[in-house]
Amino acid sequence: MKRCPFQRKLSLILILSFLIFFGCKEYSEHTGGVTVTMKEATAPFDDKEIVESIPRIPKNPVLVNTRYQGGFFWTETRHDKIERFRCSNCHNNNEAPIDKAAKVAHGNIVLVHGPENKPLKCFTCHNQDERDFLNTERGTKIEMDHSYQMCGQCHFRQKRDWVGGAHGKRISYWAGKRTVMNCASCHDPHSPKFAKKWPKTYSLALSD
Amino acid sequence: MDSRENKKDLIQKRNTHQDEKLCGRREFLKGAVKAAALGGSMMMTGCGTSLTGSKEEFVLEWKEYFKGNYRLMTQEERDETVRRMERLAKLKMGADVKISSRGPRKQVLYGYAFNISRCKGYMDCVAACVKENNLDRKSKTQYIRIFEKEHGNMNVTSGNGKYFHEVPAENHFYMGVQCFHCENAPCIKACPIKATWREPDGIVVVDYNWCIGCRYCMAACPYWGRRFNWNKPEVPLKDLTRKQHYLGNRMRTKGVMEKCTFCVQRTREGKMPACAEACPTGSRVFGNLLDPKSEIRYVLKNKKVFRMKEDLGTDPKYWYFMD
Amino acid sequence: MKIPPKKGLISFVADVILWNISGGIRYQLYLCILVAFMLTGVYAYSVQFNLGLSATGMNNIVSWGLYISNFTFLVGVAAAAVMLILPAYISKDKDFYKVVIIGELVAVGALVMCLTFILVDLGGPLRVWHMMPVVGLFNWPSSILAWDVIVLNGYLALNTLVPFYILYCHYNYKPANEKRYRPFVILSIFWAFAIHLVTAFLYQGLPARPFWNNPLMGPRFLASAFAAGPALIIMILVIINAKTTFKIEKQTFNKLRLIIVISSIINLIMLFSEVFKEFYFPTHHSLPAIYLFFGLEGHNSLVPWIWSAISMNVLGTLILAFNPGKNNPKVLFPASILLFMGIWIEKGMGLIVPGLIPSPMGEIVDYSPTWVEIWVTLGILSLGIFVVTVLIRPALIIEERYSTGK
Repeated sequence: MKRCPFQRKLSLILILSFLIFFGCKEYSEHTGGVTVTMKEATAPFDDKEIVESIPRIPKNPVLVNTRYQGGFFWTETRHDKIERFRCSNCHNNNEAPIDKAAKVAHGNIVLVHGPENKPLKCFTCHNQDERDFLNTERGTKIEMDHSYQMCGQCHFRQKRDWVGGAHGKRISYWAGKRTVMNCASCHDPHSPKFAKKWPKTYSLALSD
Repeated sequence: MDSRENKKDLIQKRNTHQDEKLCGRREFLKGAVKAAALGGSMMMTGCGTSLTGSKEEFVLEWKEYFKGNYRLMTQEERDETVRRMERLAKLKMGADVKISSRGPRKQVLYGYAFNISRCKGYMDCVAACVKENNLDRKSKTQYIRIFEKEHGNMNVTSGNGKYFHEVPAENHFYMGVQCFHCENAPCIKACPIKATWREPDGIVVVDYNWCIGCRYCMAACPYWGRRFNWNKPEVPLKDLTRKQHYLGNRMRTKGVMEKCTFCVQRTREGKMPACAEACPTGSRVFGNLLDPKSEIRYVLKNKKVFRMKEDLGTDPKYWYFMD
Repeated sequence: MKIPPKKGLISFVADVILWNISGGIRYQLYLCILVAFMLTGVYAYSVQFNLGLSATGMNNIVSWGLYISNFTFLVGVAAAAVMLILPAYISKDKDFYKVVIIGELVAVGALVMCLTFILVDLGGPLRVWHMMPVVGLFNWPSSILAWDVIVLNGYLALNTLVPFYILYCHYNYKPANEKRYRPFVILSIFWAFAIHLVTAFLYQGLPARPFWNNPLMGPRFLASAFAAGPALIIMILVIINAKTTFKIEKQTFNKLRLIIVISSIINLIMLFSEVFKEFYFPTHHSLPAIYLFFGLEGHNSLVPWIWSAISMNVLGTLILAFNPGKNNPKVLFPASILLFMGIWIEKGMGLIVPGLIPSPMGEIVDYSPTWVEIWVTLGILSLGIFVVTVLIRPALIIEERYSTGK
């Protein structure tokens, strides 16, 4: 039988085109990326190993009385960050000399909170009878450490995100027992909007 | 920190900072004349700075020069090179550094989300990153860029990354950009010698000792996420972060590529990256993508998120979201 | 013809060196000038070596500059040797067969320059061993740069071996055995296309850079190379024709001229096609092209360069196409220079730098090389010219001795 003179060349071309075809196919196949990897990861994350090496920061966190998707979580204390807590040291029925009272009264507080036409007043939040506590709209007494409950009355969206993790931030560690900052860690409760200020640093203009 | 004092200080620094051209024409010609006089000996003395050190230093440098790619090292080899590097840091800089070679955690894939409606452009993250990662102070290297954008424009190229005024500015929002640790990273594909790769926990790292400095990865990155050491990086000894990682914030040499590592030295210990910890507005969410109860998963599930230049198919692990 | 006793490799090398040292005072002066440039380059590089790449004008945005621009262009010059090899060895064209060795040696010189440009561009030149087989680690087949290293070194080896074998045979007054070198010649033809396509793919494969991410890049690289390379060979042939006893036929010039004209016209058509795409409906992917041709936000350092390059390109092509001097070397020479310089600028700085401007985040900076960079570049270029000279001179002497039998 006579061999086709181009047999070798033809087979070479065939092999080459197969290689190119499968090469391209290999490259064009997508696994679906990180979103799929994420969806497939439904097992609870076991962070025991990491947790063991993590000290609790802060030392005595407050157990939040709401749960997040992962169960209990904690927040920073508030009462120890308030200057001259407890409030009842001054706000009691005892008389105070007027000169001393003027010095320690809250003249430095700027209240920019709430709608312009109907700003908040002191006793919108503070309990008038027991000054160590806060007071909800419904009249429930709230401890300073659980002030997030006060904020959440109006800012319920922010509170929902804070519980879930889209608002606010964790303290130092991404793993281990979840301890987050509370509302007043970042926002001044009396004027909660962030102030204008100069940035901490600057980026160098590369051209000059 | 008092912001007014900070401002004055910054303005002064910014104005006096002149990108000194290291080789002007005159210096170059002057040097050329000198070289002609000294002949080839100039080059010898120039190259041989490492030879002036002690014998121990020389031996350590020699061993370091011939070590292999970090990925192919056994744990013993890794421990050995880490010990050598710690000793060299002591000999050269007089610094007691602790270099870790801790591997990735099981069942962890790091992810990041950035809230563009919260960020106010304060740049605390940038400052914290520079400090934590021992970035070169001389060339003012920064991994993070914050772009100031006008409302009504989401074009990636429309931001101003060099703003310097009180923030937040009216009618503007701020968008932080850093390495996105793409799952399908173009830089990894580009590197000719496998000096950069994706760790099992999703962090894209560089072996600073293996990199030859060809800068092809830099050309391949669509996010401008990589930085090159054009000069020998300088960090004042008092500002040196001593807790280091082989793949993270240990001191680089000149002529190698570096990049954000999600602070591998921190995150593998369970800590947040320095930028996320420093953020005063809580715009930065960091966590484990494989943990269904993590904050990052909450953001991805409950917020409308997007990624930058998603059409390129790089699959970044860094999302933007709005409230 | 009397065949003298076979001489070994040592006497071959000795003779080659001897032929290069001997020569008129002008030739010696020419070599001395080249060496002086090379030494200045070495000094400039020592400055860069000590300071790091901050001694260059490059920065985190324009991360590739003069070095890589020259590298890209010279790969084309190296690849263009195939335009002589193909007709000479495959179609057995007499005119080209006589000068094919010159083409191959020019390719060697160009490759030496390419590899040196890569080396000086590296941040860690002492770590190049990480690229070597066995001891190093290669990201193959993923990284196009890894491919490029392989094809460039392979092409250098092929283009050194074949001429060396032929010359060594002719040195001993023996005809070279065609069966032995023909497979390598055929391989080198494919390889020449490969080096240029791979170098184009280096840029073409980056979606991060819309200016480069363009399927026309590969073909355009080839077209411009097949114009610039033969233009350089014409220039060298004109010089050889004037300065040595080795005479070149008019017919050879004519054939080279035709090759250049065809390639250059194809190149210009593709350039027009690219320009149309960028400017008919400009998107933000057109920003680099706008920067290149008209400048962006006051940054316009490349604008005069690109327009002069295009003018030189068109003018050179027109002169070569209409051939007013009837293949007179006095007309061919300046026309070739025009075309060569035009393509050099357009395919060097005009291709590499705008690909990086604006940065992926939209920041614009201008790039201008520093004195260190310019001197290193000049040093490497003189190294290339030096290599080509010291290779061609003995080659011509051997060929002449062989053809006359003395």
